[in-house]
Amino acid sequence: MAPQDRLIPAFSRAPSSPLQGYQTARPPLLDVADLCVAYGRREVVSNAGFRLERGRSLALIGESGSGKSTIARAILRLLPAEARASGHVAFEGQEVLSLPERRFRPLRGRAIGFVPQDPGHALNPVRTIGAQALEAAARLDSGVHDKAARKAHVLDIFAQVGLDQPQRVFDSYPHQLSGGMLQRVLIGLAVLPRPALLVADEPTSALDVTIQKRILDLLSRLREDLDIALLLITHDLAIAAERADRLVVLKDGRIQEEGRTAAVFAAPASAYARKLQGDVPALNPDRYRPLKDRAARQRAETAAGHDKIIVSGMTKRFLVDGRSLTAVDDVSFKVAAGTTHALVGESGSGKTTTIRLLLGLEQADEGEITIAGHRLRAGDRTSMRAVWRQLQLVYQNPFTSLDPSWTVERLVREPLDRFGIGERAERDERVRAALASVRLSEDLLSRRPGALSGGQRQRVAIARALVLKPDVIVLDEPTSALDVSVQAEIVEVLLSLQAELGLTYLFVSHDLALVRQLAETVSVMRHGRIIEDGRVAEIFDQPREAYTRTLLASIPSGASRNALLTPLETEPGRAAARVEVLA
Amino acid sequence: MTYVLSATQTSSRLGAVIRIPPGVILAFAIIALVIGWSIAPGLFTGFDPAVGVPAQKLLGPSLDHWFGTDHLGRDLYARVVHGTASSVSSAFIAVAIGLFAGGLIGLAAGFLGGWTDIVLARLVDILLAIPRFLLAVIIVTALGFHTLNAAVATGIWEVAVFARVMRAEVIKTRQATFVEAAFLAGGSRWHILLRHVLPNASRSVLPLAVLHFGLSILVIAGLAFLGYGDPPPASDWGLLIATGKNYLKWPWLVYAPALVTIATVLSVNRISRWLRKTD
Amino acid sequence: MRHAYLSFAGKRLAQAAVVILLAYVFTFIVVSILPGDPVTNVLRNPQNGFSEEEIQSIIAAQGLDRPVLVQLWSSLSSFLTGDLGLSLRSSRPVTTMIAEVLPSTLTLATSALTVALTLAVLIAYGTQFLPKRWGQGLLRGFPSLFLSVPSFVIGLVLIHVFGFKLGLFRVIEPDSAWATFFAAVALGIPVSARIAEVLIANLDQEARQEYAAVARSRGLGQAALFFRHLVKPSLLPVVTVVALSFGELLGDSLITEAVFGRNGVGSLVQRSVATQDLPVLQAVVSLAAAVFVLVNLLADLVYPLLDPRVTLIGPARQSPTKAVETAAPGAAA
Repeated sequence: MAPQDRLIPAFSRAPSSPLQGYQTARPPLLDVADLCVAYGRREVVSNAGFRLERGRSLALIGESGSGKSTIARAILRLLPAEARASGHVAFEGQEVLSLPERRFRPLRGRAIGFVPQDPGHALNPVRTIGAQALEAAARLDSGVHDKAARKAHVLDIFAQVGLDQPQRVFDSYPHQLSGGMLQRVLIGLAVLPRPALLVADEPTSALDVTIQKRILDLLSRLREDLDIALLLITHDLAIAAERADRLVVLKDGRIQEEGRTAAVFAAPASAYARKLQGDVPALNPDRYRPLKDRAARQRAETAAGHDKIIVSGMTKRFLVDGRSLTAVDDVSFKVAAGTTHALVGESGSGKTTTIRLLLGLEQADEGEITIAGHRLRAGDRTSMRAVWRQLQLVYQNPFTSLDPSWTVERLVREPLDRFGIGERAERDERVRAALASVRLSEDLLSRRPGALSGGQRQRVAIARALVLKPDVIVLDEPTSALDVSVQAEIVEVLLSLQAELGLTYLFVSHDLALVRQLAETVSVMRHGRIIEDGRVAEIFDQPREAYTRTLLASIPSGASRNALLTPLETEPGRAAARVEVLA
Repeated sequence: MTYVLSATQTSSRLGAVIRIPPGVILAFAIIALVIGWSIAPGLFTGFDPAVGVPAQKLLGPSLDHWFGTDHLGRDLYARVVHGTASSVSSAFIAVAIGLFAGGLIGLAAGFLGGWTDIVLARLVDILLAIPRFLLAVIIVTALGFHTLNAAVATGIWEVAVFARVMRAEVIKTRQATFVEAAFLAGGSRWHILLRHVLPNASRSVLPLAVLHFGLSILVIAGLAFLGYGDPPPASDWGLLIATGKNYLKWPWLVYAPALVTIATVLSVNRISRWLRKTD
Repeated sequence: MRHAYLSFAGKRLAQAAVVILLAYVFTFIVVSILPGDPVTNVLRNPQNGFSEEEIQSIIAAQGLDRPVLVQLWSSLSSFLTGDLGLSLRSSRPVTTMIAEVLPSTLTLATSALTVALTLAVLIAYGTQFLPKRWGQGLLRGFPSLFLSVPSFVIGLVLIHVFGFKLGLFRVIEPDSAWATFFAAVALGIPVSARIAEVLIANLDQEARQEYAAVARSRGLGQAALFFRHLVKPSLLPVVTVVALSFGELLGDSLITEAVFGRNGVGSLVQRSVATQDLPVLQAVVSLAAAVFVLVNLLADLVYPLLDPRVTLIGPARQSPTKAVETAAPGAAA
């Protein structure tokens, strides 16, 4: 794994990266210089260099393919066998990249801890958590050889990371716990040996927003209590700004910018960092104001005041293991023509079932749905076809919602063919127009989805929904599978289409910052019920429900915690940690 | 996640052509030769497979007789070449039966579900419960000893295999998001079945068909070895090996046809693995 | 949980019984409906030299003069009571004939399975411990090579090399220890290739899982990672593969017995095929199906006990979009 041909004596290293001007008496905890990682001839990290001092925190920020995770794994020497790393990584002054595996292994897991991205896959599924924890505990040369003492130590750590029932967790298999609990277990195992450095690779991106905040709080607390340095890898600029002392911004494996968080944040020097900052919804609540004003003016002119979506008293129950489970409970809302209504909630809140009912993919047990003047009769295909002409859906994941064996042209034309709209020439014309309206070039017409990027695929999906010229489009988390900068492009496309065509959107999301940017009205869902609804501005300014407040508090403020602490951010976090375990 | 974009469709296709590993090229060359042998055996050998020269019996491999001669003085290479057509085409028939009948059963079971699925799935279970070779033996017994019947007998077990895989693929594809998307785009059941489900479900069935082509060559060779194919002077590969086993003192009589069989099946399997990977 | 397991086991047992019965009916239909009438082919065949009276008595004894459905009913009911009927050719009870040859085949099959498992484990785990440069590629090539070799060729090569050249055993003594061993090797090698293929694929897949990297990040070495983390999950699917390969063992023993001249169930089938002795064939096929179904039933019943992830309560109805939504966090217990 390490390049055997460049064994460099640990302490006779030349001064590292030119980015670092100062010298300290003690070597920094982690000093990375000229780090390159390549798969075959493809270099994914080029000349990366940065330093991390003891007890401090540093965030590596970048989008997919920026090489941030690769750097983390290079430091831990966990790269796949086909990857080649070169350059210098010094830990407490000792060069580790060229160290033989046998001598590096004692460092890994003892001095350097690792918190992975997806807790659901980070523990062996066929062994109990206790067995894996004891295995980790046995590796510590703490002088404790007694199994009972080790177990007590593990249970103690579990309690410290906020697991309410350590013994139950100890006896469980990974699949029996929630993602948040598993991430606590993994953090517990990582800090068990009191490492000097904790590497956290997107530790919260697989978790719900409220849990995300609690996990980040836990990491911050452990860092302070145990004096651990934190290397945080994230795609989320706002999180990084909130949690790290220094930032390193990466793009295509190269460092774009590096510096103190406050400085980078206040005045990004590189063009990429500026763009990234501008694209983060949490930091730019008013970014789309002009577009939205244009849409509002158009609404006023056409005076289209009536409601395009009317849902009243909708209830849906599923039979799960012989018990009736109410997935959607007496849900009612209205969406005015030409506006965007947001449906907000975490996993299991019922928002997905709500839109499936709306689209006639499930049949409601009670309640009425009216879309663009059509009363919905789910199960009756002829009447549903009439509804679908006015109601289309853009799915969450463009990697699964487009048939991989079809070309872009066929995909976009499919609704026209199926609904028998126009002659051949007219259909071709409409396909081209739809592609142009989502700003995709006609060169892509003959491509298949596999040859498109995620953003391009999602735009194809939007063009497919648009080509029928429907009144209403349901957007099911349309950007959650995409990078921030791609997300910004998609949102811009959606809003300009709304301004031009007067479309009505039902926007489903868990991302409140994004909702604030683009919706007029919002319904907050929890456990299948709408607990609060109203105009976005009002709800964000004066939330009535405690749950809405927790959701709002989960939006990373972007403000460094060292600089300012808002009361909202600390207290509910601690209290909510218990709620999660009990839930 | 990294998106590797190719500039145009044609260049990516061209790239795929260039990236064929050498082992696969060799496999294709061997298969081309085998196909040549079965279409025009006369082009590859001047000897008559059925008539021998008694004075030249049991000669070792030489420049004149590449694989040597058998106990009747017949050129073994000529016999192998002339036996190719029935050895290979029968495997092809077996796979074709399995692919079409099995594919149709699997498609119906997976797409219609309900009682159709339950009945068809049980039928497939029964076929799969009977050991493949034993099933082929009783069917060939009932039909009569003939290479074509051996092909049919092998094909019937293949029906079960393809039905099961096709059913699983159809069920998987049917639940794909893009199928629901096609439904919302106004697609009828038939449209979705033929245009979305079938093409995507068949993708993994092609490498499987190639793989089972190789397996069927082995099974049919086994049937011929036990004498359940065409009788001599036919020269199916399995039959040649069976004759050779009585003359183990002259081992080329076993090794030559065996190596041809192994090389063919190995090539077929290599191609199947490559297809699975490139998909 | 316990209740769920029992009801699952009961359901699978009932399914297995149905499949065995239907397999019997299927064989009956194949042999009676397909062209080729046993009476004219076997009994009236002048080569067999039956007199007209003998023919009449055999027809009466076998009930060959009755309608096919009645024949099916009576043979099915006697099958259920364990009576497999009389041989058409020798008029001896089929049960006795099978019992005579079964031990030889069982010995062969169990030794072949032992050989297959040993070889597969050696090959698969060898790939994990041999260095990349030498040996690993060769070892990884073994399964695909052995899946391309007819088992009778392996048998003939073994006989040629170890019997003829090295003189370890003589072909005319098929039941000697060496002869049995090599027959088991010939039968076991293709099966071992199939098991090794699955085992190698599983090991590679498990080694690529995130949990393997995370376990290494806690300071675990290669060997500890392999033995404590990778062996169990990679072995679990092998239970199913081994059960499935029973069909291959039973079917291919037919050829292996012919190659090594062993007197077993396979040679009984061969003789019965030659004389179109349908009751014997039918019995053997149904028994083979029963063994196969029962072994796989056992595998299905054992698997949930080995793998904690398998829950026997069927998954709640899940729509694709719902699956995406719930995929990440999973439900709290």
